[in-house]
Amino acid sequence: MTIKLIGYLYSGPTMRIIITLRELGLPYEFETPANFEVLKSEDFLTNKNPFGKIPVLFDGEFRIVESRSICRYLASKYQGKNNNMILIPNDIHKAGLVDQFVSYEIFYYDPPVLKLVSQEVYAKKFWDKNPDPEIVKQGREELIKVLDIYEKLLEGKEYLNGEFSLADIYHSPNTHHVYAKYSDL
Amino acid sequence: MTIRLIGYSALYPTLRVIICLKELGLPYELEPPASYQSLKDEDYIANKHPFGKIPVLFDGDFRITESRAICRYLTSKYQGKHNDTILIPNDVHKAGLVDQFISYELSYYDPPLSKLVYQEKFAKKFFNKDPDPEVIKQAREELAKVLDVYEKLLEGKEYLNGEYSLADLVLCPGTNYVYGAGHSDLWDSRPNVKNWWNRLCNRDTNKKSFEEIKSFWENLGK
Repeated sequence: MTIKLIGYLYSGPTMRIIITLRELGLPYEFETPANFEVLKSEDFLTNKNPFGKIPVLFDGEFRIVESRSICRYLASKYQGKNNNMILIPNDIHKAGLVDQFVSYEIFYYDPPVLKLVSQEVYAKKFWDKNPDPEIVKQGREELIKVLDIYEKLLEGKEYLNGEFSLADIYHSPNTHHVYAKYSDL
Repeated sequence: MTIRLIGYSALYPTLRVIICLKELGLPYELEPPASYQSLKDEDYIANKHPFGKIPVLFDGDFRITESRAICRYLTSKYQGKHNDTILIPNDVHKAGLVDQFISYELSYYDPPLSKLVYQEKFAKKFFNKDPDPEVIKQAREELAKVLDVYEKLLEGKEYLNGEYSLADLVLCPGTNYVYGAGHSDLWDSRPNVKNWWNRLCNRDTNKKSFEEIKSFWENLGK
């Protein structure tokens, strides 16, 4: 039974899943939509994602969308089956804290990082626009405040929850996109 | 070992956790912070929430923040212990889909909903600002598109994932506010959505929680 992932390699959410699949030692097939219009087609909305987004994952006949839900599902089902990688701790309290750090990523870390990603990676490539310095400035200021908090959260720890987990994976792709230019942060 | 919840029940992320505690049959103590400003105190940031937010939950010595993470933790630990209510199915595929629907809520449903909550419930009473009609118009349009998708998702189903789950719970408190603030047409004009919302309103935990919140707002005016 194959795992099929539909997405774009440059997309942060798609990359979250690819990293998770690799961490869990899972083989998969990767499919890129022919173009952006496909995502709004009747067929895509009915059979892939009702909100017209990628990524979409098929595990045999089972379909699931939303990158962090996909990663959690993969970890729940396959963790420990192909290798020893633990992405969601078995202990309820530790798992709760991983979940908490995932929520920090969604609500505090990702929004300013996305501002930077949209300006530095997408603006020129997709919209033929130069990065907007005002948005970049706002994104940097917001992100600095968040990273100040992460600095304290990481005191004495190698990873957000002590050991490597899903929470660290989720932060990686978009950070990677902007780190090259904004490593000072 | 007591469960302590720090927050304001009038703010719907706190209410999310309260409804979850009630659904699971868990006793708890609610501790409203001394003031909204106290959330920025060094002590609060060091010992409660590093981003200065509510709610925060203590289960004995264990501290956890972020309302949906708290709900998921409570469910993982206590589901089935005090009653039969299942908020996250045991089947890994069904649980995956509940998670997917929770992601829909935080990605698509809540952003326009929270704008309407702020404009209709909090702007005037707490910030002395009149509701902004342009913001309300845009938020209604966004939410209408999301509810069109939910109308299809709910075809032939009583709840988002078939049976009642955390996916339905997470959107109840915010929806209750906006529904009752003059925007009920958004739900009532879509038959599947309307029936689903009525079902949710008839759940004992929601009935009780919504009544308590109603009293809060009525007393606030006095």
